[in-house]
Order: sequence, then structure tokens, then C-alpha cells
Amino acid sequence: MKLLTTTQPPTTSHRRSLQGAVHLSGVQKSFGQTCAVDGIDLDISPGEIVALLGPNGAGKSTAIDMLLGLTDPDAGDVRIFGEAPTVAASRGRVGAMLQSGGLPSELTVLELVELIRALYPTSLPTDEVLERARIGDLTSRRGDKLSGGQTQRVRFALAIVPDPDLLVLDEPTAAMDVESRQVFWASMREWASSGRTVLFATHYLEEADNFADRIVLLRQGRVVADGATTEIRALAGGRTLRCTLSHADLDGLGSLPGVASVSVHGHGVSMTCTDSDATVRALLERYPEAHDIEIGGAGLNEAFLALTATPGEEIHS
Amino acid sequence: MTGTYMRSEVRRTFRNPRYLIFALAMPLILFAAFGAAQSHNHLSGITVSAYIMVSMATFGAMSSVFSTGGAIAFERAIGWNRQLRITALTGRAYVAGKGFAGFAVAVPSLVLVFMAGALLSHVHLSAGRWLLTGVSILLALLPVAALGVWVGYMAKAQSVQAISGGVYSLLSLLGGLWVPVTVFPHWVLDIVKALPIYWVAQAGRQALSGSWVGWEGVAVLAVWTAILGAGAARAYKRNSASS
Repeated sequence: MKLLTTTQPPTTSHRRSLQGAVHLSGVQKSFGQTCAVDGIDLDISPGEIVALLGPNGAGKSTAIDMLLGLTDPDAGDVRIFGEAPTVAASRGRVGAMLQSGGLPSELTVLELVELIRALYPTSLPTDEVLERARIGDLTSRRGDKLSGGQTQRVRFALAIVPDPDLLVLDEPTAAMDVESRQVFWASMREWASSGRTVLFATHYLEEADNFADRIVLLRQGRVVADGATTEIRALAGGRTLRCTLSHADLDGLGSLPGVASVSVHGHGVSMTCTDSDATVRALLERYPEAHDIEIGGAGLNEAFLALTATPGEEIHS
Repeated sequence: MTGTYMRSEVRRTFRNPRYLIFALAMPLILFAAFGAAQSHNHLSGITVSAYIMVSMATFGAMSSVFSTGGAIAFERAIGWNRQLRITALTGRAYVAGKGFAGFAVAVPSLVLVFMAGALLSHVHLSAGRWLLTGVSILLALLPVAALGVWVGYMAKAQSVQAISGGVYSLLSLLGGLWVPVTVFPHWVLDIVKALPIYWVAQAGRQALSGSWVGWEGVAVLAVWTAILGAGAARAYKRNSASS
């Protein structure tokens, strides 16, 4: 059982232009009894590279579907460059790599690119698309004769066809090996360097850390932290305090200073701390019987898991 | 824009082995096996060869038009329809493009069987009569196109082939495409005439012999188009709303 006690309010350090790239306010979406997105507010300025980070079922894909106009929110407002998502998409201002992504098996890569080019009012020249996505060698290959990494590169190519101002990527590297990942992020970086906006969903903290300049942490359909990558890193990259305590109460432990999350297994207590010095002092004052105290550096991923852990049931989006 | 999309859809179908087998090869083989040699016997006012030629042409064209359903279900499964929805292609244009491709690839199915009829079984018609026969069959296939779209949005990709196979085998059998309806008992004939496929072939045969399908046939086809079209529209809307 884990309890999240500290949440960062959405950061104010990011400039909000009058016409942001992405604007979500009070957005909610349920599927039957399951609430996938439970009131998200998010503003992204043009030029930002934002990672939407969270475990499976946190609502990442549902949020992305809504900002692409693939799903209508039950409540709240979604705007892309001040327009309705479907309008922005049809005008080619948004490109997307969606999560589930097969390609039709009967068309070649070149035919796919040409097809998608024909479906936008304006698009990049074919050669430029092929070169940017590094798929020049795959043009005569059929859609079903590609490896996982190659498929993702082709899907990236299709996403940049309209030369979009905003690129949305839903777990783009999920099916890739390490090498493909590096190639992918390299072409991504190159693409984003010209000041375009990128929003990508991932459940790899490393990826968010390496590529984004802002991280939005989702848990159970809510934003639990939103800030510059360095801030989130500080929050996530704290220390772990372990001790043995016979009468541990989650609420009491969670209210200690400097605690980000608490988990209790029998008499064993494990806390993720942003300020372990303050925590250990307060711990001994309030629980003098605490013993076997151990403080260690928390792994980045471990801390991230603690931050986004779901206390109740898992939600499937 | 939609032109490129439709051309691309047609090209995809021509590369689909399922289409090549069921819509092109099978009708041709069945006609050659059962219809080609029957040019001296007569049935319903035309030669048995011509009768079976129209049945097989209808069967092939029906497979083509119905293949829309498989394409839609498959694209839903791999998420390709979502990729298209974030372009400027509207949902209606997506369905219309699929429907158009279905009818476009039905033309070769018809032409091949007609050519076999002319070359192997002395079915000689004026160019206008051939055209009218083909167009009558295509127009009468509208309810099948609607059924294809409906199935495409209702069925899962894993089951769509089985469902399609079952549905059009049943429709072909009850439409008298495999066995002439004259061998059916009366009560079966009543069912046959309440279903659309009998009238599709009938539209072809009547056009071939210089007549037309008649009001009863038009009425049955129109009612089925309305029912299946409404079902298809509802399934499409529900699908677009829930992504």
C-alpha cells in the first residue's frame, strides 16, 4: 500500500502565451464506470517539449485522444492553437504517432507517405519526409514487412507529413530496441530544434528526463506534478528512508516533513523523501520506537514509481 | 485529395489475395465448371449458360462490394482509421472511399465472367446490353455495400472473415446464385424473394434479356438498403464517438 502525500501545484514558471499550443481545462472522460481522465488542466506554450509521464492506465492515451479530437471529453475544454482539436488536425497543425499502430499491409512505405500527403491541404515534399524520418531505404517495403523500429520510423514520417506545429507522440518507443530508440530520438531532436512543440507520452522516466524540458506526471487521470524536468528530478530523485516500526500509521508518516510517499509492509516502513534529514529528525521525535533506520539514495525509477503509484485499483484507459 | 485516397483503396484491394481468390478466380472457375457448357439448354427465358453467368458475376461482384467490411474491421484493429481521422479526410469521405473502392473492384469481377460467357458459351449481346446488365447488378448491390460497412464497424478483425464468409455464403445460397431458385420449394421461395440477393441477380438477368427487374424487386432492394444503411450509419457514429 502506497500513499502519495506531496503533489506539486502546476508550475507557473512556464510562460503562457495568449494562444498556447495546447490548452486543456477541467477535462474529464469516463468509459462506463471507469474514470480515465479526472479533471486535467494543462497549458503548453509553443516551442515546449513536454513529457506526459505516468504508469499504464494513468490516462495518458485518453488525454492524447482528446487533444487530437479522436475522443470527445465528457466535460472541460480542449483547444489546440486556439482551435477545436479536429479543426487543428484537419488543417495539419498537429501530427501524431498514435499508440496502437499497424500499417496497411498492401501499400509500400512510399505509397503510404504519398497517401497521407494527399490527405492534407499542405505537406512537406516526399523526399524531405523520407530523409527526416530516416526511411529513405525502406520506400519499396510493404507495411507488414517492417520491424518494430522501422514501423515506428514510418509512423513518425506520417506524423510529420503536414509539417505540424505540434507533434504528439503516444509512447513512440514502446516497440523499439535500444538502437532504434537512439535513432528515433535523434531524428526527433533534429525535428524539434526548429522551435516546434512536442508532447510525448511515456512511462520511461529516462526518456522524459533526456528529452523533455518539462514533465507532467499523471496518476489516475489527474496531474500529480508538473514542472521543469530538473524540478521533477529533484522531487523524484530524493532518498529512501527505511525503518522498522510496530504501530505504523500511513497518515501520520505521510505528514512528516520531507516525505513524498510512504509504503508499509507489516512492520517495515519505506518512505521516499525529498528532505531525508528533516524526515529522520521528525520521525524520531514522533516515533521514538522507530529502529533499524536506513537512508539510501533512491533510484530515479524507483522514486518515479512511488510518485505515480496507484493506491487503489488500476484504471484502464 | 479524396481521389488519391480512392485510388489507393482500389490499389490495395487488387493486391489483396482474398479479393483475387473470391472475387476474381472463384466466380470464373465456377462458371467454367458449371455454366460454360450449358449454352443449348434454357432456363427462365435465357440459356442456362447466361443464367449461371449472371449468377457468378453477381457472386463475384458481391464479394468485392462486401470486402469493404473486412477492410474497415481490419483498419479499426490496427488503428489505421485513427491515423486517417487526424488528417483532413472526413469520416464520411473515409466510408465513401471504401464504398467506392468496393464498387470499383467489382467491375473486373463482372467483366471477367462476362468475357468467359461471351467466349465460352456464345452469350452475344450488344455493348449497350452488356453495360446495362453490369450496371444493374452494381446498383442492386447497394444494400450489400451497406451491410459490409455495418459488419465492418460491428465485427472484430479476428471474426470478420468468418462472419463475412458465413453471411455471403448464406446470401448466395438463398439468393439462388449457386442453385437456381426454380428447384426451391414454395415456402423457401417466399424467403428468397424477401431477401435482396435474388433481386440483384434478377436485375442482371432482366437487363440481359432486354427487360428490367420490376417494382417488386426495386421495392425489396430499397427497403433493405434503408434498413442496412441505417444500421451502418448507427454503427459508424457510435464508433466515431467512442474513438
